[in-house]
Amino acid sequence: TVAGRVAAAMAMSVFVTRRIPAEGLRVLSQASGCRVQQWDSEEPVPRAELLAGVAGAHGLLCLLSDRIDREVLDAAGPGLKVISTLSVGFDHLALDEIKKRGIRVGYTPDVLTDATAELSVALLLSACRRLPEAAQQVRSGGWTTWKPLWMCGYGLSDSTVGIIGLGRIGQAVARRLKPFGVRRFLYTGSGPKPESAAEFGAEFVPLARLAEESDFVVVTCALTPATQGMCNKDFFARMKKTSVFVNTSRGAVVNQEDLYEALAQGQIAAAGLDVTTPEPLPTDHPLLSLQNCGECARAGSPSSGTGGT
Amino acid sequence: VWYHKPAINEELLQSLPNLKVVASAGVGIDHLDLKLLSSYGVKVSNTPFIVSTDTADMGMALMLASSRRLVEGHEMAVSPDTEYFPVDWLGVEVSGATLGILGMGKIGYKVAERAKAFEMKILYHNRNQRKKEEENAVGAVYCKKIDDLLQQSDFVLLAVTLTPQTHKLIGKRELELMKPTATLINISRGLIVDQDALVEALQNKVIKAAALDVTYPEPLPRDHPLLKLKNVIITPHIGSATKKTRWVMMEEMAESIEAGLAGLPVPREVL
Repeated sequence: TVAGRVAAAMAMSVFVTRRIPAEGLRVLSQASGCRVQQWDSEEPVPRAELLAGVAGAHGLLCLLSDRIDREVLDAAGPGLKVISTLSVGFDHLALDEIKKRGIRVGYTPDVLTDATAELSVALLLSACRRLPEAAQQVRSGGWTTWKPLWMCGYGLSDSTVGIIGLGRIGQAVARRLKPFGVRRFLYTGSGPKPESAAEFGAEFVPLARLAEESDFVVVTCALTPATQGMCNKDFFARMKKTSVFVNTSRGAVVNQEDLYEALAQGQIAAAGLDVTTPEPLPTDHPLLSLQNCGECARAGSPSSGTGGT
Repeated sequence: VWYHKPAINEELLQSLPNLKVVASAGVGIDHLDLKLLSSYGVKVSNTPFIVSTDTADMGMALMLASSRRLVEGHEMAVSPDTEYFPVDWLGVEVSGATLGILGMGKIGYKVAERAKAFEMKILYHNRNQRKKEEENAVGAVYCKKIDDLLQQSDFVLLAVTLTPQTHKLIGKRELELMKPTATLINISRGLIVDQDALVEALQNKVIKAAALDVTYPEPLPRDHPLLKLKNVIITPHIGSATKKTRWVMMEEMAESIEAGLAGLPVPREVL
């Protein structure tokens, strides 16, 4: 029918770059005038498939593992109106190019704050109390009997916590750590944030001082040209030998080779990483061989409530 | 006495006629026969306060690690067989969930203080109800009946003392009252749980998962089913395992012994 053909012509096509939780897909599929095409796999969409899939799309729902650059935007063509990314970070989007074309961008800044902050604290506790190592000893038979100084870790009581990037996630982390008896919060970033810091009595300090004085360092900043490779040899050298380093921001904020050296040489005590470069790390990467480096395979943001939003 | 060795029985006491004081590490005293020791005129001390914070931290660590599948995730990240991370590899959020604390003593209360910062709804059961101010400070709601707590909680955390009354407090019946999506966390003593019933409950998905710092015995025999279950995290009784705390424990025990030998009042005496 004419009406049918008109409706079909008016339908907006949306390309989804991965298998996503059913609730989210349902919202899109049931939206009137919305036609969904999807790379229905758990694996990241290969580049060629991405370029083919976005052709003629009006909307694009992507993940942080999809690099949306000029090539992708050209392949999509002038009909592309909106890009939604399932993340709060947008370092994978060529924002200048996107804005130039008048394309709107959506992200998920608040809904994953709690889940990510929670995971940061989970990683911190897991690292400072040596959970994966201890659990492994139980299964392997390494645990023979109780010994007073065996498997000792570090406590949070009376500690100094340094937060790199006191944004939504950083604040949510501080809020959760406070009742563990943290004595002092330090933070660093592009500038002081007195309203955010007041709740924790957090002190704004230069990066170097944060490294020197913190017992626990948590990285919750955005990846920008300024923060790329920020946690490097100099940074780790300044940290205490008894300190714990947690990264739930982006792998590229950390110089991984320098982190490996710091852990292997005992310059810092332990690390917990939700993010690495690349993800996953190649199986022969030296970081994977360290007992005091915990990684949790990007468990950072999705939890069954959040993923569907 | 560290852990429960040596076993303090009649034979040992008879061979140590000059024994005046036994200083026990940690807060639990279920391994000591207090009546027997008292009949030999031996004083007993423990280290009840110093272990609270680290043990409460451990309770939180286990709850978070279990819900966010950290041990599993770590193994996936370091495994040579992993090619990609599935985007629907999901955990469950602790934030906003309901935590039921069985045993609101020093340790249980500290867990509540920490859980509150995660916006958890806190239910508790205790021999005696806590004061209103204490309840309000952590937003904890008293459950006079354990069953109510078990039915409503997403996480059930055990922080009770081991006594004849709490032995096998959590058995088949209690596990069946829990939600099928619930997780059991034990930072008290292995014997508080009917372990065989727990294995069955986990295998049959009566509850979702367990995270245990304590079992019976410790360590478990190598072929024990708990060691093979994917939805179980077991740590080797490291609740108080930080260097700082262990040092204070040693100092406190030495202090108690010195006082006992000098005939002075024994600090942290167990009566």
